[in-house]
Amino acid sequence: MTSIPSQRQADAPRAMVTVRGLHKRFGHLEVLKGIDTEVNESEVVCVIGPSGSGKSTFLRCLNFLEKFDAGTVTICGHDLTSSSTNLNLVRRDVGMVFQSFNVFPHMKVLDNITLAPMKVSKVPRAEARDRAIALLEKVGLVDKADVYPSKLSGGQQQRVAIARALAMQPKVMLFDEPTSALDPETVGEVLTVMKALAEEGMTMLVVTHEMGFAREVADRVLFMDHGLIIEEGAPADIFDTPKHERTQAFLSKVL
Amino acid sequence: MLKALWVSVYVTLGSFVLGSVLGLLVYLGRVSRRRPLRALCVGFIEVFRNTPLLVQLYLIYFGLPEVGINLNPLWSAVLGMTLNNAAYTAEIFRAGIEAVPNGLREAAAALGLRFSQTFRYVVLKPAVRNVLPALTNQFIVLFLFSSVASVISLDELTTLLQDLNQRTLRTLEVFTFGGGLYYLTSATIAWVSRLAERVLFRW
Amino acid sequence: MFDFGQFMPPLLRGAVLTIFLLVTSGILGTLIGLIFGIARSSSIRVVRWVASIYVNFIRGIPILIILLFIYFALPLMFPTVTFSQGVTAIAGLSIYAGAYMAEIFRGSIAAIPRGQSEAAEALGMHYLQKMRYVILPQAMKIAVPPAIGFLIALVKASSLVSVIGYTDLTRAGRIITSQNHLPLNTYVVVAALYFVISYPISLLGRWYERRLT
Repeated sequence: MTSIPSQRQADAPRAMVTVRGLHKRFGHLEVLKGIDTEVNESEVVCVIGPSGSGKSTFLRCLNFLEKFDAGTVTICGHDLTSSSTNLNLVRRDVGMVFQSFNVFPHMKVLDNITLAPMKVSKVPRAEARDRAIALLEKVGLVDKADVYPSKLSGGQQQRVAIARALAMQPKVMLFDEPTSALDPETVGEVLTVMKALAEEGMTMLVVTHEMGFAREVADRVLFMDHGLIIEEGAPADIFDTPKHERTQAFLSKVL
Repeated sequence: MLKALWVSVYVTLGSFVLGSVLGLLVYLGRVSRRRPLRALCVGFIEVFRNTPLLVQLYLIYFGLPEVGINLNPLWSAVLGMTLNNAAYTAEIFRAGIEAVPNGLREAAAALGLRFSQTFRYVVLKPAVRNVLPALTNQFIVLFLFSSVASVISLDELTTLLQDLNQRTLRTLEVFTFGGGLYYLTSATIAWVSRLAERVLFRW
Repeated sequence: MFDFGQFMPPLLRGAVLTIFLLVTSGILGTLIGLIFGIARSSSIRVVRWVASIYVNFIRGIPILIILLFIYFALPLMFPTVTFSQGVTAIAGLSIYAGAYMAEIFRGSIAAIPRGQSEAAEALGMHYLQKMRYVILPQAMKIAVPPAIGFLIALVKASSLVSVIGYTDLTRAGRIITSQNHLPLNTYVVVAALYFVISYPISLLGRWYERRLT
């Protein structure tokens, strides 16, 4: 069992993400067939499931990188379906980490991290810099501040990407298979950073194939298949006593 | 009008075919083991790629008679465009053949194929596929630049347009229509070549 | 024999005007190309469509026709304004260069992985910020080699402004042959001067590509 920080128990749960009846289709292919779920403040939710189950698409709908066809998403108090919602304001509150890192190759590590705070949130340069250095310390890359990303390993690039997202001081962090593109030996360093973040009380949604991480860090696990949430619950329940046969079949293959 | 367009097209076609053959020879000379030949071919390519076709045509049409070679506008245009095109196609061939992965050659050698067999069975087809889009592009460029032959009074489309413009003074109509004809022709060439590529290379 | 003392000065003056044309139409063409290249990459269909009409049409007709059209048609459309040959030449070459540069920029923008755009959006950047700070700096780097290649093509295309009476290097050569009646010698010198302008640009392009890899 994970040790839950005391503040989490003290506050009454407040929904940071609310998803109702989310539908999404690519042409004739229906990838999301009605997703309903909530994520509370400081909660860590891992989304697992076979490839093609729609879990990445689900995550990408939450900051509207993917448009959806029906349903509502409310995230950090912003209603994504309302036409008066400014998408760029929503995205300041929602950090995202991609499978392929997507660090900006033409900028040094420090500039990768200060760019959005300076240009989007109009944070003064000195402050953005201090914030970036602090974040680099947190992800253990302070010595790489003046290096171009091409000189870094995949795991290091991904940690830069995490720092870059955190620099916007988001209220929710979305992780889209953050370790799937990594060499096995660098997976651990990224998971360590994510675990530390979870322990600080960050609200996190993590699409992942790392079952060990999900079991250890998640407060709740969602199992998705064919565009639906088949089963959800505490990690111990999902991993040890899965109720649905599809969950059982999936887990027997990956564990 | 269509007759003048036809002159533009066949001058282009003729010099494209002759120029491509010459270009292949220049390419082979360029990769030859004989240093003087190699230098000569590189020099030919660089000179023709770095000077304007217009000046090349002036040299042929106005300059060559000085040494007793008199060519009419048609042959001057064909000669100039052939040499010009050869310099470009030689580079296209080089790029296309060099782009065939070395691994393929090594695989063929490992299978025991001789050099000529390797070229014939392994290198040629991917090379042709690499080269074809660039060649059709070069064909279109050559077609558009055939208009330059109007300055040595070859009776092609641009010459006719200028005549018409002077006779009728309907500038807007004449050049809009003429430009449209050029555009339609080059667009047709591009379309046919895309179609051909799809039929020829299904792999 | 070709009298260098007498004929080099006018030829060099023509060469300077050719270079002047290249610099001005190169800069204007790059700006036009940048605007239309971005428009061609737009997510708004109408913008994309309008831009592609310009780009495809100009790339489908000879530069000589563009120059003749502007030379003869502009005075008809604006009867009160007189256009110098220089303005006509720069306008024609810029419109021409703009279409080719637009295609180069479109290709370079398309070559930037989709993830870069998504990462910028996920950080809350709006379209202009995303273009300015993330996409274009990367696209520019890719665009340099083909842009240099096109600049060499522009050197040669610029010779056609002589047809509409602008005294560039080629026309300077023509005028001289009418005086010295030595076309072979004169045009060899003209060609050599073009080579001197163009070849360093080729070398620059090769140097840059070698540095990239």
